[in-house]
Amino acid sequence: MTITPDSIVYWQWGDFALNATIVFTWLVMALLTLGSWLVTRRLSDGPQLSRWQNLLEVLVVGIRDQIAQVSHQQPGPYLPFVGTLFLFIAVANLLNVIPGYMAPTGSLSTTTALAICVFVAVPVFGIASKGAGAYLQHYIKPTPLMLPFNIIGELSRTVALAVRLYGNIMSGTVIVAILLSLTPYFFPVVMQLLGLLTGMIQAYIFAILAMVYIASATSAHEHGSPDEHQQNTPSDQ
Amino acid sequence: MEINWITVSAQVVNFLILVWLLKRFLYQPVIRAMDRREQKIRNRMDDADDREQEAIHEKQNYQQKLASFEKEREDLLEETRQEARQTRSQMLEQAREETARVRNHWMREVDEEKTAFIDGLRHQSLEVVETVIRKALQDLADERLEERIAHTFIRQLHSLDEATRQAMAQSSEPATIATSFELDPGQRSALTRSIHELVGTDMTVNYTQSPELICGIELTCESQRISWNLSDYLEELTASVEKAFEPLETTEPGA
Repeated sequence: MTITPDSIVYWQWGDFALNATIVFTWLVMALLTLGSWLVTRRLSDGPQLSRWQNLLEVLVVGIRDQIAQVSHQQPGPYLPFVGTLFLFIAVANLLNVIPGYMAPTGSLSTTTALAICVFVAVPVFGIASKGAGAYLQHYIKPTPLMLPFNIIGELSRTVALAVRLYGNIMSGTVIVAILLSLTPYFFPVVMQLLGLLTGMIQAYIFAILAMVYIASATSAHEHGSPDEHQQNTPSDQ
Repeated sequence: MEINWITVSAQVVNFLILVWLLKRFLYQPVIRAMDRREQKIRNRMDDADDREQEAIHEKQNYQQKLASFEKEREDLLEETRQEARQTRSQMLEQAREETARVRNHWMREVDEEKTAFIDGLRHQSLEVVETVIRKALQDLADERLEERIAHTFIRQLHSLDEATRQAMAQSSEPATIATSFELDPGQRSALTRSIHELVGTDMTVNYTQSPELICGIELTCESQRISWNLSDYLEELTASVEKAFEPLETTEPGA
């Protein structure tokens, strides 16, 4: 039983191993891009919409509304980053129902990569919106004594982000695998459905948390409280 | 649970590429399409608002026109009614006048006929009365009556007023005495004597006979005329008969 798709290597070239994680990531990327391209190359701006365009519009508008609701800011600049986080994780998790597919989000490497992206994106967005000085002052508030704790908090929430997603998806896969050996046929299907639900929730949580971190860095609000609060809720999963 | 850092970096790159791809193929086109649609809808709404305004304006226009038409029609109707009323009253007036005219005409005709009839009646009756009286007087007339007449005339001459007497005295023409009967010479001389007593002896007196006087005697001297005869009484009678008829003439047309 394989726990992580990293260990399945299709092709090795020096240190670089073309493992299942990367391959399935490419698959998801190709699916998303191709689907978007197919729909958006014939967009209608009249009252008549194709079904697929309607779906995409609902998705985009929903993500935009969520961003605006969480950040109390214009969603424009954050939409590509946060939206892609959500769409990528959601699609990667949903495809879990296909036999033989292994979710790239079940690999700690992928979740770490996404968490690093968020870790970098937070100061990038913060400096872009407030300037470097104002952004860095956050770390010495309310007193300079808090500086180490702020840095630890920044790192730990990134780690938590990576591990939470990995743990949830991996555990889902593992539970299904174990149940298959214990009670075959019906019960694993139920667990798989539960896995789909968990996957969607995790995608939502990951994207929303990323948005919360970015919003706390870009807005003039107090730094600590909102993400502390948000961090506790998904930990229950 | 291990982290393959090469895979991690590959996934970071993959993710960034995916961000770019989705931005290029998903978010931008979809948002642009939605914006365009919103713009279109807004334009249409504006258009619709404009048209609605226009329609309201047109509606008001038409309502005003309709109201003015209605008013005009009402006015025309009223005018026509007024005219009809006027024409009716005019025609009634004309008919009334015509009736009155015809009636007046008829009344006048009736009056004329009546007057003519009464005139005729009066004439006839007068003539009859005159004829009867004349006949009666002619039958009665004898010397004694003529004598009485002459006598009465002489008495009348004596009672003449001063002015008439003066006028007769200054007259240059001869006096003429006309009688209906033949005066005998004694009577003539008595008359002449009385005239001479009145106006002087140089007055010439002529005697003529005139049957129209019907048993009477008349003295004419220039512009003066003194007479006594039955014709006067007859005329008086005629006048009183006419007077008796008069009320009939005046009251009857009104009745």
